[in-house]
Amino acid sequence: MTAQLFLLLVQACGWTVFISVISIVLGLLLGTVVSAAMLSSSRSLALAGRIFVSFFRGSPLLVQLLLIYNLLPMLGLNVPSMVAAIVGLSLCTAAYQAENLRGGFASVPAGLLEAADMLGLSPFQQFWRIRAPIALRMTLPALANESIMILKASSLVSVVGVVELTRMAQDLSASTFIPLPLFAAAAFIYLVINGIVALGFKKAENSFRWGIKA
Amino acid sequence: MSKRIFLKSMATAVVALAAVSAFAQSGQDALERVKKAGVLKVGTETAFAPFDFIDKGEHVGFNVDMYHEIAKEMGVKLEWVLLPWEGVFPGLESGKFDIVAGPATVTKERMLRYRFTPPIADSTVALLKRKGDSSVMKASDVGGKAVGVGKASAQLTQIKAYSETLATKVDVREYPGNNEAYADLAAGRIAAVCNSLTNIAFVAQQRPDTFEVVLPPFGVKAYSAFVGRKDADYAKLMDAVQATMLKIKGDGRMAAMQKKWFGQAFDTPDMVNTPNL
Repeated sequence: MTAQLFLLLVQACGWTVFISVISIVLGLLLGTVVSAAMLSSSRSLALAGRIFVSFFRGSPLLVQLLLIYNLLPMLGLNVPSMVAAIVGLSLCTAAYQAENLRGGFASVPAGLLEAADMLGLSPFQQFWRIRAPIALRMTLPALANESIMILKASSLVSVVGVVELTRMAQDLSASTFIPLPLFAAAAFIYLVINGIVALGFKKAENSFRWGIKA
Repeated sequence: MSKRIFLKSMATAVVALAAVSAFAQSGQDALERVKKAGVLKVGTETAFAPFDFIDKGEHVGFNVDMYHEIAKEMGVKLEWVLLPWEGVFPGLESGKFDIVAGPATVTKERMLRYRFTPPIADSTVALLKRKGDSSVMKASDVGGKAVGVGKASAQLTQIKAYSETLATKVDVREYPGNNEAYADLAAGRIAAVCNSLTNIAFVAQQRPDTFEVVLPPFGVKAYSAFVGRKDADYAKLMDAVQATMLKIKGDGRMAAMQKKWFGQAFDTPDMVNTPNL
């Protein structure tokens, strides 16, 4: 394998990172909304949240991507490849992140909230100063997991026409007919990216330990 | 709003949206739309050398040159939509692009569903073997051996039919794509790969120390062509592409491109109306 082929893989991995990062961030925002809906006292909101999660967690990401790309145009909404890829990944990861966050919020001790009530903290203050930080701290390892999963799952978006790392390796092996070194190089690049992601989250976990007396 | 009314109104909205968009699409002729936008969108897969592939980071191949000429003649720009092959036909049917490059072998069954352009290459099938494998010297030697072929391909039908004519049947192995079959051939899991001569001649040329073509080809005469839609609103577009391609063929440009990418010019008919397959 030549340096030139490797460089092409590195370039293609730029799209992998780009799509994954945007999807993880959008997924976290949407996941927060969905988890709030699931935990809400309104029954219809909770039901809507649960339906969202069960659909996007219960059907394969590949199928979701194909639906977004090929079915929406029939309803008059012609989404470009990149948009379909990001929307698909974001919706899917939002469902998983919503469940993670629900677990995080559920693990906030009720006693803390009772104490906060007694001290006269408003519901918003309770959310912002007590529930959110604890939930985030509890959820970070799961978020790291999910981020790595999405980085790898992004290899599926080639079905909607985005040439990312895996697709580039496939394309290059289809013109050079030397698949092995190309896929080995792709695996190596995924490992490096995910190593960096794992390290970043480790650091984040450490810096979120404020308030915990060791 | 009660749950039932909510669901009902959602369902109505979806149906209305679908109806409106169907109306909007059917009202517009594909050729008019392409001319108005000034862009012809072509869907293809870039893992099909020498028709479409990535060389030094660039999308190149016979199809790129050919569509470049077609677009130039029609006075429009070209936009490529690059998908894995299994996504190409769903994309054509959902209107993601106007026409498919590919190409695909012209068969009777496919002509029922799609409209083919004038053929661009001879796609008679042959076998690819490992370099120096003396157990496969002619096509009939694959009787009793494992042969790889792309699933749902025109080549699959042919190798199966050919197998019936041999004393010992061929062990036909189906692969999601030709490239997986080539990899298995190199790894020694199968004795040969069955594909169109145009494709495997290119593979053997790229890796002459690994692969070798078994000559002569065993299949019946077949041709491959670009693929478009049969719908009435696509008829004018397909007519225009057909006329343009025949012009490009007539003045010798197509033969020059074939020589460049396939190493030889093919004597292809202007249209395949009654395919052998």
